[in-house]
Amino acid sequence: MVEFQYVRPNNVDGALAWLNEPGVKSRPLAGSTDMAILLRADPHLCDRVVDISLIPELHRIERRDDQVIIGAAATFSEVLENPLVQQTAPLLAQACRQVGAVQIRNMGTLGGNVCNAAACADSLPALVCLDALAHVRAADGERDWSVSELILSPNHTLVPPGGLLVSFRYRIPLPGSRSVFLKLGRRNALAISRLTVAALGRLDEQGRVAEVRIAAGAASPRFNRFKAAEDSLIGRLPTAELYQDAAHRVAEEMIHITGRRWSTEFKEPALEALVCRALALVFETPGSELQEGA
Amino acid sequence: MKIDFTLNGASVSVEAPASTSLLNVLRDNLGLTGTKQGCGIGECGACSVLLDGRLVNSCLVLAPQVGGREVVTIEGVRGLEGGANDLQQAFIDCGAVQCGYCTPGMVLAGEALLASNPQPSRQQIREAIAGNLCRCTGYQQIVDAIEATARRRRAKVGHD
Amino acid sequence: MTETRYVGKPASRVDALEKVLGTAKYIDDYRLPGMLVARALRSTLPHACIIRIDITRALKVPGVHAVITSEDFIDHGRFGYPVQDMFMLAYQRVRYAGDAIAAVAAEDEESLQAGLDAIQVELEPLPGVFDPQAALQPDAPIVGERPWDAPDLPHGNLLNHYRVRKGEADEALAACEVTLSGEYATLHQEHAYLETEGALAVPSSDGKGVTVYANCQSPFLNRGNIVQTLGLAPESVRVIQPVVGGAFGGKDDLLYQTSGQVAKLALLAGRPVKMTFSREESLIASYKRDAVRMKIELGANHDGSLLASRIHVLVDSGGYASITPFTAWRSSIHAMGPYRYAACQVDTDAAYTNNGYSGACRGFGNPEVCVGIEQAIDELAERLGMDPIEFRLRNCLRPGDATPHGQVLGDDVALAECLEKVRQISDWDHRRSAIAKAQGGPSRPGEIRRGLGVAAMFHGLSLGAEGADFAVSTLAVDPDNSITLTSGLTDYGNGSRTVFTLIAAETLGLQPERFVMPRPDTETSIESGPTVASRATILGGNATRLVAMKLDSILVGSAADLLGCSPAQVARHAEQYVGPHEEAATFEEVVQHARRKGLELSVQGRWEAPEIAWSFEKGSGEPYFAYHFGAQVAEVQVDTGTGKVDVTGFWAAHDTGTVIFPQGVLGQLFGGIAQGLGYALMERVDYDHGFIQNTNFDEYLIPTALDVPDMVGAFVEKPFAPGPFGAKNIGEPSMVPAAPAILNAIYQATGRRIRQLPANLEQVLLAHDLRKEGDDRACKLGLHGK
Repeated sequence: MVEFQYVRPNNVDGALAWLNEPGVKSRPLAGSTDMAILLRADPHLCDRVVDISLIPELHRIERRDDQVIIGAAATFSEVLENPLVQQTAPLLAQACRQVGAVQIRNMGTLGGNVCNAAACADSLPALVCLDALAHVRAADGERDWSVSELILSPNHTLVPPGGLLVSFRYRIPLPGSRSVFLKLGRRNALAISRLTVAALGRLDEQGRVAEVRIAAGAASPRFNRFKAAEDSLIGRLPTAELYQDAAHRVAEEMIHITGRRWSTEFKEPALEALVCRALALVFETPGSELQEGA
Repeated sequence: MKIDFTLNGASVSVEAPASTSLLNVLRDNLGLTGTKQGCGIGECGACSVLLDGRLVNSCLVLAPQVGGREVVTIEGVRGLEGGANDLQQAFIDCGAVQCGYCTPGMVLAGEALLASNPQPSRQQIREAIAGNLCRCTGYQQIVDAIEATARRRRAKVGHD
Repeated sequence: MTETRYVGKPASRVDALEKVLGTAKYIDDYRLPGMLVARALRSTLPHACIIRIDITRALKVPGVHAVITSEDFIDHGRFGYPVQDMFMLAYQRVRYAGDAIAAVAAEDEESLQAGLDAIQVELEPLPGVFDPQAALQPDAPIVGERPWDAPDLPHGNLLNHYRVRKGEADEALAACEVTLSGEYATLHQEHAYLETEGALAVPSSDGKGVTVYANCQSPFLNRGNIVQTLGLAPESVRVIQPVVGGAFGGKDDLLYQTSGQVAKLALLAGRPVKMTFSREESLIASYKRDAVRMKIELGANHDGSLLASRIHVLVDSGGYASITPFTAWRSSIHAMGPYRYAACQVDTDAAYTNNGYSGACRGFGNPEVCVGIEQAIDELAERLGMDPIEFRLRNCLRPGDATPHGQVLGDDVALAECLEKVRQISDWDHRRSAIAKAQGGPSRPGEIRRGLGVAAMFHGLSLGAEGADFAVSTLAVDPDNSITLTSGLTDYGNGSRTVFTLIAAETLGLQPERFVMPRPDTETSIESGPTVASRATILGGNATRLVAMKLDSILVGSAADLLGCSPAQVARHAEQYVGPHEEAATFEEVVQHARRKGLELSVQGRWEAPEIAWSFEKGSGEPYFAYHFGAQVAEVQVDTGTGKVDVTGFWAAHDTGTVIFPQGVLGQLFGGIAQGLGYALMERVDYDHGFIQNTNFDEYLIPTALDVPDMVGAFVEKPFAPGPFGAKNIGEPSMVPAAPAILNAIYQATGRRIRQLPANLEQVLLAHDLRKEGDDRACKLGLHGK
């Protein structure tokens, strides 16, 4: 019985060398919460697993000028506990906090969540809302993709064979920004997301919407911000009717992408309700704004 | 392959295929059956152990991943004289044990929580054990046991 | 009542220490030298003829030691209680997807899988039927035994028909000023014990006997089946129950099959054989709580008096009968709720289908019908403009009342007290009106609304008309002066071992720590019927009380002899035996003296439940010798934008009689409520053309610690004379009213009546469920790994 090989490189260069050895089907192993299940179902999934979960540079969470960099092997727990993330991107901390349960959060990684690219992955709408970029290194070089572009369809990303997603970065939202992540599941923990909504926004001095970003999860096979809905909000005074209108546009966009499916009868009204609630939280919750110089 | 790690404070070495889960290494290779299998897919927490101090589902950890690291199982949770520690005794006193199958995982979840948060609210306790399913107790007495232990440990620290 | 020393006081569960230390041994923790592993090959078709099974290739696989089919058992391995329609391995037909066809024992997992793959099975698919209503149509495919297979078994798909009749319901309903008609439906529920099924058989050295360790609930039933189907002498078969990780009724039939399979495999291989289930195999193969549909018609007058009911219950028994004949009977007895009726008519039909089979599950037929009747009662109360608790108080059974079955109740009826108590502790009146006031108008979009709901219940104690109802306990003083206590009834988390210990301790005036209860073992304990139906405390407790009294009189007699006085003069101070002039003897001295005098220090006590009389034909009589009563209130928060329901508060008042083990009673109460919460909101077993869709805990959802609120339990301890120290029970009653209390609360919050469980997101938001089209993939993957 041929078993797979397990290797644990100390750095990314080492990992890339293992992943790109010709003739050997290799896969990276991060938190293993997804991989362990795949391997249980198919022990012949690959010839070699390359454990990147302990490579120090892949866990770094730091600020560089106006950007926050997060190593791709940072666990959900590390991300949600990090003060920099909590201050600059509350929605990402909230998203990580609502993944599964503490055991899953202690092992699962942001990078693994993105690369597995499940339609219900919780980190994706938050990262998309942050216009996060994914930095990918491959044997022949490296490049960035927006997380939005990176996800092609459920379980399919642009990460090339032999490539490794090494970090994410997002520009720190402007002072006065608020963000929120809402998750709807069938129970309050260990729940696959039925729908998620990530929203970020900022009002100008007249109290009108200066900036707004909206993304959703478990709503469509790809992850993009809902531009039409966002545009409808810019420059307007936030009201319940305005949120309702924007929410309706989000639901319309979802149906435009997916068509009417068996679950649409539920997802359409539920998504609208969640978007309304998210926008109300973003534009009306006092005291949770990002401060100057954070 | 050979996997060397620290288990309940002592060095151990096992020989197992890379695909073996940590759960199976503990139960089959090392004969430590206190850690339980409930579902095999990380959805019930019966297999919970501490890995470098963090609560994880051992059914989802590939055994080689613990090489060079520290694992604590329920067999490593003991009072000074080798019997129940204060948290385990609180479980007994509060009626938090019925069939007992979730209990090892719950005890470890409680220990993991109290190590990072000595003054948890009941809601925080519930969040800390939300990944451990129990079908017998309805959770309340488990929350009571962890809460009582937190209070007792804080009081002890206060007097020292 | 006189002050007790142990009963009713905080106590430690006798087996809690090993559980918190992680040293308790469950079935999968047993490893024996030379042990083989085993698994059954299970059908991935819900209904098929077995044309041919060829095991020759499997027997040749290296590492395979034994392969068996139904031919390896006497009478094809037929067994079953109360209907013998099951087989140790399927004979001639498979009747549900998951039915075991053959079993293999091998050295390791690899050779085991290779052996299973090498078995050649030819199945000819038969048309299946997946709805009990359809199953009763004249042209439905027959799932039940055909007359030529078993002439004395009912043929066709109707397994049972039960009735309750009081007065003339049709006439009475027609005369009522207000009537109501509603339909309600539940889905199957999975027990979801954290530990899956498992059995380990060790053949005796002469190959003529076997010891089976199995996490079954009823070791004696298990032994009886093995004796019968393997043709072994009864004294050569021993069944031992290890520590069990939960059962809730679910560890009987499938465990008997598994035990029979490993016993045969072990005898053939001459080595120990262990079979444990993955969660997928457990979910696919194990029996479930039945799914039921109810049509309920109620009639009342404007003055609030409930007068008549006409109810029809349809039960899905699935591919086999299991204990459905009993659960369906209990459903019929409880379908109308704990109320006085001038006229009552209940008809219950249980039908075979090709869904997974139904069997015992906590509540045993009562939770299912309680979902219907307690909602219907609420609906009727609303129509009459009455508060739900008021309406129930107006009509609930009280001491001396005649039940709808024609039974005159005694004094031990505390339902009104429970309703008053739960009303008080939940602050019902204040909370209900505050909610009503705050939510006067229609809900705004995405509004979070609150609701408070109540449900009442009764639960007949023990087996009732289902069978002979007795239990036996034994006590023996061991050479080291510890006292061994056994019961034929078992503890799989329900706490019975602790309850029996406390009863024995109290009766004998000795500390609980002196008592040792060995693992339930057919060799050392005595047949006492199955550990089901919450009968452990009353039956086992009474048997324990009786045997303790016997031993007590022997010890007191010995003390009297030692102290030179009469037995009547012996007083007890702490654990000592004290004579009329304050001379004292210790327990050890009394025992030593008894031994010197040759007194018997090993005794048995048997308690039999009072005889009951039920006429199945007339539908009236005394179905149970007594009842447990209770009432629960749930508070919910409903997100009207998404359909999400959170239970934010829960209060329960139960008439448990005397509480023997306080932490245990609360634990059983909270656990039962949590199961009811799951039943109401999130648990679903979906069969699609007989294929189960939910094969692990990612899809079969039970409540987590963040889904269950802090709960408040109150016990109305109205002494129940026939019970040990006045105790009744709690195990199942705790679960019975929880779901309808939650559903009634959802109604106050949303104005939406949920008629189909579970009240999940879609049901609450859309008033109907949505289901993706299912297939056989999850089943195939779960059973064969592909």
